[in-house]
Amino acid sequence: MKITVRRSGGIAAMTRVWSVNAVSADDKERWMPLVEACPWEEAKALSRTANQPDRFMYSIRAGQRRATLPDREVTGPWEELVESAKAEGSESRGQR
Amino acid sequence: MLRRLATRPEPRLRAIARAAKESLLHIKGLQAARALPVPAPPPSARQAKPGPPQRTIFDAASTETLPGTLVRKEGMPPVGDAAADEAYDGLGDTHTLYADVFERNSIDGAGLKLDATVHFGKLYDNAFWDGHQMVFGDGDGEIFQRFTRSLSVIGHELAHGVTQYTAGLAYRNQAGALNESMSDVFGVLVEQYARKQSASEANWLIGEGLFTDAVQGAALRSLKAPGTAYDDDVLGKDPQPDSMDSYVRTTADNGGVHINSGIPNRAFYLVASELGGNAWEAPGHIWYGTLTSGSLPAACTFGKFARTTIATAEELFGSGSPEHDAVLKAWETVKVKV
Ligand SMILES: [Zn+2]
Repeated sequence: MKITVRRSGGIAAMTRVWSVNAVSADDKERWMPLVEACPWEEAKALSRTANQPDRFMYSIRAGQRRATLPDREVTGPWEELVESAKAEGSESRGQR
Repeated sequence: MLRRLATRPEPRLRAIARAAKESLLHIKGLQAARALPVPAPPPSARQAKPGPPQRTIFDAASTETLPGTLVRKEGMPPVGDAAADEAYDGLGDTHTLYADVFERNSIDGAGLKLDATVHFGKLYDNAFWDGHQMVFGDGDGEIFQRFTRSLSVIGHELAHGVTQYTAGLAYRNQAGALNESMSDVFGVLVEQYARKQSASEANWLIGEGLFTDAVQGAALRSLKAPGTAYDDDVLGKDPQPDSMDSYVRTTADNGGVHINSGIPNRAFYLVASELGGNAWEAPGHIWYGTLTSGSLPAACTFGKFARTTIATAEELFGSGSPEHDAVLKAWETVKVKV
């Protein structure tokens, strides 16, 4: 399963992308609970809420699941997933 | 104030009266105000002198909890923390521009207290206005240093507050790019006014000094030459267009609000460059008059905005004046149809 966290916006508007490829059984055991803990269905309503000026916007993908969240909604299990991907994933600069 | 009013050309008095009327309206809250008929301003409105700033700086101590612990209040001496003291000074410089130049009493026109939180989050690469206060991160130290280092960034964030209380431009697509451009324009004006730099002396940059030495770039954006602020192996190249010919269509960044803002940004620079002198004078008054005119819709397009700057220039300085001509020419150069 591939997990991608794309952060866009901010006053600098520079996109950063962190990705994790959870292939081995150990990886899956590590990442699946983090992914499963996130309220993917509830996030659908949040993607349409207006963002505050200059705040980051997160687009998160995990396998077939995807969610778009404003910075201030990245809390609880989302924060856990995002921070883990930032810390352990490989980083690339995204295209706008 | 009375002396300065008396020396102003008659059309500008009308605009000031109109601006005063606008700011009164916005005390009641933007959303309600937009639906209300415009009341006649009381006789005292035009004489209302902006008061001194009321600043409070908080420290989030690397958490994301707002506002954090109070570290410096209005009138207190520097505390010795660079971020807290830079935020305090920057809020003061921003308040001064609006008070001295535009007779505006703080962000809301009604003496709003200016609160800012520094040391927000861990290695947080951003600064923002949350609708009530300013928030500054420390930067990651690899690409960005602390965001309080740049006065234009502080001015940029507070201008989001001014836009919120006046035109209420939506933060999406062209209206969002205009919202961003207002913040860049008034951000550089805060810096230019504080440094007493004329249009030809100023750097016209947003965020000079934010990048670490590792980055190939001068700043986040350039109003003078959009698309040239940085060109770095890791960050890539500044993506801003400098005319409608290279307008960027994208769903990222709320429809490219920080990208296409380069077009109206350059229009402002061109007006200031054409007229010479201080950008906060005629160019600043035309843009401020436009922002507070009450005639910009929330979903404003570049064309509507451009037409309003032209109408404002005509109202303030007269048809065929150098100011009016400079505004017409600027929009033609950046290829926005009016
Ligand atoms: Zn902004």
